[in-house]
Amino acid sequence: MSCVPANPSPSNLNSVHAKLIIPAIILAIVAHAPADQSLETAFRTTGPTVLAAFDAQRQVIQKCSAIIYDGRAEAICGVVISPTGHILTKASELKTIKKLGVTVDEKKYPEAKILAIDDQWDVALIKIDASDLTPVAYAPTSAVSQGTWVVANGTTTRTHRRVLAGIISAKIREIPTSGGAALGVKLKLDAKELEIDDVQEKSGAKEAGLQKGDVILAIDGKPVTKLDEVGAVLKDRKAGTIAKLTFRRNQEEKSADVRLMARNEMSEELNRNDAMSGAFSERRSGFPRILQHDILGARSIVGGPLLDLEGRCIGMNIARANRAESFAIPVEDLKALAERLLKTP
Amino acid sequence: MRGCHRDGTLVVCRSFHEMKHLLPCLLTALLPWAASAEPARPYVNDKKAPENRQDLDAIQHALTQVLPAARNATVCIELGEGSGSGVIVSEDGLVLTAAHVASGVNKDLTVVLEDGRKLKAVSLGVVADTDAAMVRITEKEKFPFVDLDRKDTTRLGDWVFALGHSGGFDKERGSVVRLGRLVRMAESTIQSDCTLIGGDSGGPLFNLQGQLIGIHSRVGVWMGIDMHVPIQVFIKNWDGLLKAEFIGEGPFVKKAEKGKGFLGLATEARSEGGLKVTKVGKDTPAAKADFKEDDVLLKLNGSELKTREQLQETLKEMAEGDPLEFDVLRAGKPLTIKLKLGAR
Repeated sequence: MSCVPANPSPSNLNSVHAKLIIPAIILAIVAHAPADQSLETAFRTTGPTVLAAFDAQRQVIQKCSAIIYDGRAEAICGVVISPTGHILTKASELKTIKKLGVTVDEKKYPEAKILAIDDQWDVALIKIDASDLTPVAYAPTSAVSQGTWVVANGTTTRTHRRVLAGIISAKIREIPTSGGAALGVKLKLDAKELEIDDVQEKSGAKEAGLQKGDVILAIDGKPVTKLDEVGAVLKDRKAGTIAKLTFRRNQEEKSADVRLMARNEMSEELNRNDAMSGAFSERRSGFPRILQHDILGARSIVGGPLLDLEGRCIGMNIARANRAESFAIPVEDLKALAERLLKTP
Repeated sequence: MRGCHRDGTLVVCRSFHEMKHLLPCLLTALLPWAASAEPARPYVNDKKAPENRQDLDAIQHALTQVLPAARNATVCIELGEGSGSGVIVSEDGLVLTAAHVASGVNKDLTVVLEDGRKLKAVSLGVVADTDAAMVRITEKEKFPFVDLDRKDTTRLGDWVFALGHSGGFDKERGSVVRLGRLVRMAESTIQSDCTLIGGDSGGPLFNLQGQLIGIHSRVGVWMGIDMHVPIQVFIKNWDGLLKAEFIGEGPFVKKAEKGKGFLGLATEARSEGGLKVTKVGKDTPAAKADFKEDDVLLKLNGSELKTREQLQETLKEMAEGDPLEFDVLRAGKPLTIKLKLGAR
């Protein structure tokens, strides 16, 4: 074995919410313990023998979760909310899909339409052409004790869903936008106007087509001329909401809708906790209310239902925050959101 | 005794779901026994894996019963720029944590309770080669605490849960609980599949009876490999830990070396005795202890100071973290300044 002792060290300082933490020591295991002192993989918490006890919930996942493909690759999961093919999924992951396809139970649906998106919750409503799906049954409340079992999508084949199990692991709460919401532009430092010097690659500003040299004139109709005025306008805004930007390009006044993103999510740097967290969700903060659990699945299990042992939907998985924390939208909020999105014209 | 206890529990509980109608009377029969002895080991631990809803409910029931008390005793430990976790194990505020969190003996630390209250604390002993440490909360009150698994009843495959302030203290969230099984056991390390992350270091691992069985130490390069210091390491070294001894050698914490301590004062001898401070270095231990230029150092730890060399020689025999008490004259008025020697 080789050990690297850790020193207390500050984590990523560009985040307001980054806590200064002592990173756990990374230890590479080279030698193996004697066989009788090591539990076989099948009997570990994520092992097939343990997960076989969750077959009742697995059958619900089989019918009520959707697998959303990008071509042939599983991209994310979804929650079936109507017999006629309405499915909720994670909007920011959906946006990166080039060739959208959906599987529910054993059936493949090559056509899917995006009907509506809620940027605040990062949820999209999609529709497939179906008539006899089994929608999730909602649990009466998300206010269950910590330590309560929950079940979510695990890996999948074309026809068979597997599950992962874990527990509710912390208090229901808001996850504020990490590092604050931002446009994703760098402004020229010494200029008299708010001239854009650079547009961040992964940002709402990039999506909205802003360019170097554009001059920002107003945000949501409020004229801005100085950097701190921009800060003041955006201070209480949440990630996922839209800022209407008025700007000047080549003597011409234009406007664009810019999706605000968490400052942290635009950053390319990883702090030590992120570095040990595998594939976490890019959008993992700025949620009005979340239920936290400890299911450590692939990033692609996000978007699917979170079930209680009765097989009822207690939430919708919305982010894998890091290796120890997963977030779900609580059932109360999920129901309201589903109703609202279904009414979208 | 141990074998008997295990087997007895196993037999009685296995019959639970085969003879459901007997359940209420069996439970009643067990109650006086359970109350008078160690908390009962859940039968589900003696199954290779849970098989049905009843087994899952048994795990959940045991966990939700003991979780509130375990959580109340779990703390965040802050020092300098970092934070880790720990757990209170006595009413008067003894805390167990990892050696790499305590970072040495005699260190000033802050312990943060679940409700956000911050308390002063000091590190006692460390076991440097297995990553064990003890801390004492120095404020006098009665604290919530947990029991240790003194009889070493925990076995490979047992269901366990981890608590800790993952990523640092967050009052809105509280400490984070994760469920898993004990997947490897060795003398100085136990491994679970409760997923840990930075900030959890030093936090507690419990069995389903709510007894402390380990302290989080480190994680593997792959997911699902999470290491803990077994509670037996603490029990074995208890006296030394209490006496603030530095036990073992590295790699989790390095012993402070003599002569490498740092104060940050420049002085000159006065003809009438004592040393006059001519300069206080910026951001040094001396500056943090609020020394001022022109202060006169009369005594260090009870010995009169006459020459600069004498002060230097005394400090050379000391190490980082050693306590210093100066008798000082400031503008003609006597005062005492206490601090700890810093690191260069």
